[in-house]
Amino acid sequence: MNAIEVNHISKSYGKRVKALTDVSFTVGKGEVFGIIGPDGAGKTSLFRILCTLLLPDSGTALVDGFDVVGQMREIRRRVGYMPGRFSLYQDLTVAENLQFFATLFGTTVDEGYESIKAIYSQIERFSDRKAGALSGGMKQKLALSCALVHSPSVLFLDEPTTGVDPVSRKELWEMLLSLKERGITIVASTPYLDEVRCCDRVAFLSEGVVKGIGKPDEILEQFKDVFNPAGIDKVAESEPSANDSESDNVIEVSHLVKAFGTFRAVDDISFTVKRGEIFGFLGANGAGKTTAMHMLTGLNQPTSGTGRVCGFDIRTEYEQIKRHIGYMSQRFSLYEDLTVAENIRLFAGIYGMKDAEIRTKTERLLQRLDFATHADDLVASLPLGWKQKLAFSVSIFHEPGVVFLDEPTGGVDPATRRQFWELIYDAAQRGITVFVTTHYMDEAEYCDRISIMVDGKISALGTPSELKRRYDQPDMDHVFTYLARQATRSSD
Amino acid sequence: MKQFFSFVIKEARHILRDRRTMLILFGMPIMLMLLFGFAITTDVKNVRTVVVTSQMNARTQAAVERLAQSEYFTIVATAATSREAELLIRSQKADMSIAATAGVKGGGPRWQIMVDGSDPNMAQQWATYAQAILAQPVASEAVSSPSSPLSGGVLVKLLYNPQMRSAYNFVPAIMGMLLMLVCAMMTSISIVREKERGTMEVLLVSPARPLMVVVAKAVPYLMLAFGILVVILLMARYVLAVPLAGSLVWIVGVSLIYILLALALGLLISSVAQTQLVALLMSAMVLLLPVVMLSGMLFPVESMPTVLQWVSALMPPRYYISAMRKLMIMGTGLREVATEVAVLTSMTVFFLTVALVKFKTRLE
Repeated sequence: MNAIEVNHISKSYGKRVKALTDVSFTVGKGEVFGIIGPDGAGKTSLFRILCTLLLPDSGTALVDGFDVVGQMREIRRRVGYMPGRFSLYQDLTVAENLQFFATLFGTTVDEGYESIKAIYSQIERFSDRKAGALSGGMKQKLALSCALVHSPSVLFLDEPTTGVDPVSRKELWEMLLSLKERGITIVASTPYLDEVRCCDRVAFLSEGVVKGIGKPDEILEQFKDVFNPAGIDKVAESEPSANDSESDNVIEVSHLVKAFGTFRAVDDISFTVKRGEIFGFLGANGAGKTTAMHMLTGLNQPTSGTGRVCGFDIRTEYEQIKRHIGYMSQRFSLYEDLTVAENIRLFAGIYGMKDAEIRTKTERLLQRLDFATHADDLVASLPLGWKQKLAFSVSIFHEPGVVFLDEPTGGVDPATRRQFWELIYDAAQRGITVFVTTHYMDEAEYCDRISIMVDGKISALGTPSELKRRYDQPDMDHVFTYLARQATRSSD
Repeated sequence: MKQFFSFVIKEARHILRDRRTMLILFGMPIMLMLLFGFAITTDVKNVRTVVVTSQMNARTQAAVERLAQSEYFTIVATAATSREAELLIRSQKADMSIAATAGVKGGGPRWQIMVDGSDPNMAQQWATYAQAILAQPVASEAVSSPSSPLSGGVLVKLLYNPQMRSAYNFVPAIMGMLLMLVCAMMTSISIVREKERGTMEVLLVSPARPLMVVVAKAVPYLMLAFGILVVILLMARYVLAVPLAGSLVWIVGVSLIYILLALALGLLISSVAQTQLVALLMSAMVLLLPVVMLSGMLFPVESMPTVLQWVSALMPPRYYISAMRKLMIMGTGLREVATEVAVLTSMTVFFLTVALVKFKTRLE
């Protein structure tokens, strides 16, 4: 018997937006089924329809033998659902969250303990901590425990690992695969290719249409220009020669420490970044990346140690630093209720650029991004990938000496990420230093040099190939996992 | 049932852990009561008065004495002519002047009262007070000249609030406003917060019935509202010395109906609002402002234009405040507030039904 049968489901919002068009597929009992595709492909709409949260416009769907329209109550008793965002109560403790969800599903923690033991035992020692104070990986483990406590027969996971570091992601998927043995059907969506490969079968969804269903490798091969875009041809990097002058270092950091009470978030880090270099700043959730970035961008004062960015002291000249850097984060990038042109004007104005200069540069930028026809569109109406490209272009619009990118590509599909990296290379060519954090290890390979932070210290620093050689690992993913598993600090 | 209790406990934890909100929720009634009780008072007290002495005689002198002895007026100066008194008022040295003019021979004195009218409400009150005092028959006067009938004054007797204390007016009004604020605003925000954080999705995809979710969410706020009600009543009785003349059971009973009504409005708002900000603005703008302005709390409904009076008839707090005035201050029984209770009850039923029908078991 099939756990899920979807027949010709269509759904549109209003007249213009068609989220899903004639989607059909089946999922066998106990199968791990992946739903993959770019942003806005209709994945979340599909999840919501299957969870009885949305009504389809046409078509039928059966979950565990029950109709999603007519037998809502039966389905709601049988499924577990984890929406993309952390679906926990931040002000309740770990134990209170679990207990609440257990009673919600008409069971108790004791009864359901067997089924979540493997996952929950990892976070059980934090049971008195508020869920809001957990790291991303642990939050997701808790959310998964909450979704599993009533032993559902079908589990829906909508991008469960966005914003989670590679090690925690691997652990989460190991748990998911162990659920399979208990006959639980899993439907999950993910932008990560290694996770796609963990599925038994995947459906590739694009613009609301199922383009293909099959084994992960077949689908990835069939649509390889989307999922496996050819690597970026790196401009042969001239090996930094020894006689490079000191002044060529855009970022110089030595023995930087940031302590919160007795907790040393950043513990004595030292490194330099050269002009025009792409520097990857990696680390697991809670390793201290964000704190270090805050100190470099002048948002936070170091406890001890020194650092210079663009020649300015991070302790005393942070106002100057702010003027000479660009910053883009995943959360805040652009004002959604302003148009493309208005956003550019606003940020250019903040950095004190002249009107005439803004006008000519805006035109050139829109041309280069192929946005010319969208200059007057609201940013909210653009696809996520476009927004991020635009946000990056805006962050380097005033030609800063160095641009800081904090997980710029979170939750974006591979093809768009590749285009994004082309922009980064462009900027580096023009002499802008790029300082980037990411959870995607394929992106780490694109960097000139990378550092990996573990427990507040930099435990490795070098070119990707150097690191792979040094730790004798086949790719960056393995290097990262190898280093991050040595962490003793468990969360932020 | 267990589900229900675990829901209530969870909701109570949200409230209890949010210390700052709790502080505001309990601090606000206390602050408002103290402010209205002692600072923003419309009571007449120590009005600076000038007496024009030109045409004084023994009788008018006695009346002026009475005025000076009352706590309402203080004689700050005497002036020879009305013109001089007016100058004193114009130079902000006094608020009011009284002058006696010789009346008809044998009749009572005629008074001229001049008031600084920059605050018309207060000016009117001062004049009324002064009139009442000046016209008062004095025992000694009655004895000394039995032949003279009382000077054309009108005898005013204030029932229920002999001292004209404004606390009697605003305590019911503050109850009407705060209970609405806590219940409608807090309930709607707490539901919309779950929508915003994405936890509502998980709640909906659980076997819990949406009706239960909503009722369980309302229960802690109902208790909170009761706590606030108790705080207000205690403060009114012991700090502001407002008598609780009526039966406490009925005061609490009518308040309960009103709280339910506010909860229903909160639910209704939460089904329309998508973000906490919208919920907040809707509660504040759509509920609170008209409630304060149109429910008779600050301005008497009777003196509004007809159209606004109609609008005011739709404001639930109007009936609640009116019922509370009758129950608390006048000490009437339930029969006298039957109309108010009937209106409140039917409004509650109406809004609750609409809110529950509008509550979505799916997303949009």
